[in-house]
Formats: sequence, C-alpha cells, structure tokens
Amino acid sequence: MAIQTVLIINKSGGLVYQRDFLASSTKLSSNDYLILAGTLQGVTAIASQVTPKALQISGSNLSKAANETEYSIPYAGPLGVKDQKEDMGSFLPPDYFTDSFASWSKSGLKHVTTDQFSLFLYQSMTGMKFVAISTQSSTSNMAVSFAENFLRKAYCLYADFVMKNPFYEPEMPIRCELFDKKLTEFVQHL
Amino acid sequence: MTIYSLWIFDRHCNCIFDREWTLKSNQASGTTNSKQNEDTAKLIYGMVFSLRSIAQKLSRNESRNEIRTIATGKYRAHILCTATGLWFVILSDLKQEDLSHVLRYIYSEIYVNYVANNWLGPIDFAETEQEKRGQGTRKITNRNFVRGIEQFLSPMVTR
Repeated sequence: MAIQTVLIINKSGGLVYQRDFLASSTKLSSNDYLILAGTLQGVTAIASQVTPKALQISGSNLSKAANETEYSIPYAGPLGVKDQKEDMGSFLPPDYFTDSFASWSKSGLKHVTTDQFSLFLYQSMTGMKFVAISTQSSTSNMAVSFAENFLRKAYCLYADFVMKNPFYEPEMPIRCELFDKKLTEFVQHL
Repeated sequence: MTIYSLWIFDRHCNCIFDREWTLKSNQASGTTNSKQNEDTAKLIYGMVFSLRSIAQKLSRNESRNEIRTIATGKYRAHILCTATGLWFVILSDLKQEDLSHVLRYIYSEIYVNYVANNWLGPIDFAETEQEKRGQGTRKITNRNFVRGIEQFLSPMVTR
C-alpha cells in the first residue's frame, strides 16, 4: 500500500496539512485540496444521515458489548516503525500503541474506493480528520484496519510534534518541520 | 451478509427506482418507490456526486476514474455509474467487500431487458424541463422489472 497523500482536516472542515509523498501526484493546486477537504467534511456529515432503516430498527436493541466489539480495530503490528532504537517522541518503544483500539467515528465516512485509488479517513474524538490516499484500490476490510492503524500513528505524531509546539496556533495550518520530517520517515517505512 | 437497499438514479439527478428492505428476517418487508425515501435519495445522490467529483479530480491519467464503494462505520455503498449517466447504488453491511458484479448483473440483465428494451416504457424518465433539473418523481413501475429485482436480490437480504 503506497501512500500518495496525507491530509489533516480540522473540526470546522478546513485543510490544515497536506503532503504528497509520490513525485507523480502533484497535479492539484492547494486550492483544489482545500475544496477537497471541505467536500469530505460535508460528505462525512451526509453519510451518517443516510443510515439504512434496517439498521435504525435493529440498532436500538443491540447490546452495548456487541457494539463495542464491532467498532474495535485490531492492532496491525509495527507498521511504519523501522527499529526499536529510533526516537519516538514521548512514546515508549517498541511501538506507539500495541493494543486494539476503538473507532470514534461510528457512522461517519471511513473508506472510499475508486478505480485508481482508495481514500481512508480516521476521525479523532476532538473532530480532527486524518485522510490518507493510497494508490492501491482495495475494497477489503483488512486495508481499512491497516489504514486506521497507520492514521492513528500519524495522530500520535500530531499530538507530539504539533500540539506540543508553542508556536502552533490551534486550527491553523500546520507548519512544523519536525512533524513533516517524522511523517515522511514514517510513510517511507511503510 | 445483508443488503439494505437499492437505488437507481438517472442522468437528470432523479431517483427513478428505490427499494429498501427494513427487516433482515423478511424478504418482502420494506418499501418500493416510496415517497418517504425522497429525502434519503437526495442525500445519497449528493454523497455519490461529491465523492465522484473528488475521484475525477484526483485521477492520475486521462482515463475515467469512477467511484466503486463508500464505506462508513455502519454500512457500505456500492456504486455503478454507466456511460449513459445512470447510477446504480446498493447499500449493504460491511461484510460485503465488493458487489460490482451484482450491480453489473442488475444493469445488464434486469434493467436493459425490462426497462431499456421495453417499447411501452419511456425513453427518458423526465418529460418536462422542470423534471430534467432534479425535480422529477417518475419511477420505474414496470412489473417485470420489479419482479426481476425482487427475485434476484431477495435471497441476499436474509442470508
């Protein structure tokens, strides 16, 4: 799975970070990416509105335990972490996390596939959206859980190198060299 | 393995057929061409339209880059766009990874046979100017078509 682009969208639908990792993919202007981010925000809102009636009926009497297992995402191994000696910010080696975790967006958009690529979306509890565009078009559920693992690690990097930067203003475009560097390294190790 | 609903849109942004199953246990449950589903149809149309334009913008070469599936935390939408501007959309549960073969069958064997090849049916489901701008409410009511859809998709509802 080659990651082509990573986008970060803030809670109001604005693009705060965009980076291409493949040389062949810089065709869109930054304005186009802004529009893309806004559209994704809108689609996420719509997608949760069109929940099928069958689910609305059966959803109310599902037990809480069943609900929890359904939205838990398995840990996919040391994705993107090259060796255990490398600097992991404030996280302890061997990996950013080693347990399965819960998905925050229970009804929002998660995964879009087209003939040429697939797009994955990870949402944090605070409304930040992490988007990865992969050059491989895959419809499998495996790919989704891999992508959520990858994006959660990107979120860990964000927490470390963006949120702990005193010069960063919340909701504004991210200009942090260290974050750039770490994310690039991370994608290259995938 | 469950499918929740089937939607067909024409090139004038109108929903020309919808079938929604409401009970997993009952193949005959749910609604066909329901007026209550108009708003949902509009939302689904908007969602597919937006993501389709994103896909076209992001395509690497000149070839068309059509959208295939949209997955949310609760359901997955499978989409088939034809060259004539028809969209076939199926909503299913997340266990269905790819239903494009099902959509292609519905188009080529059911839609083409009972709607396109039907001399008594309309060529276009929008007649007035107004209806060509997404305001139309005409539906496919052809008996054979509805029966064909029912026979083909019902086994997938309860399984």
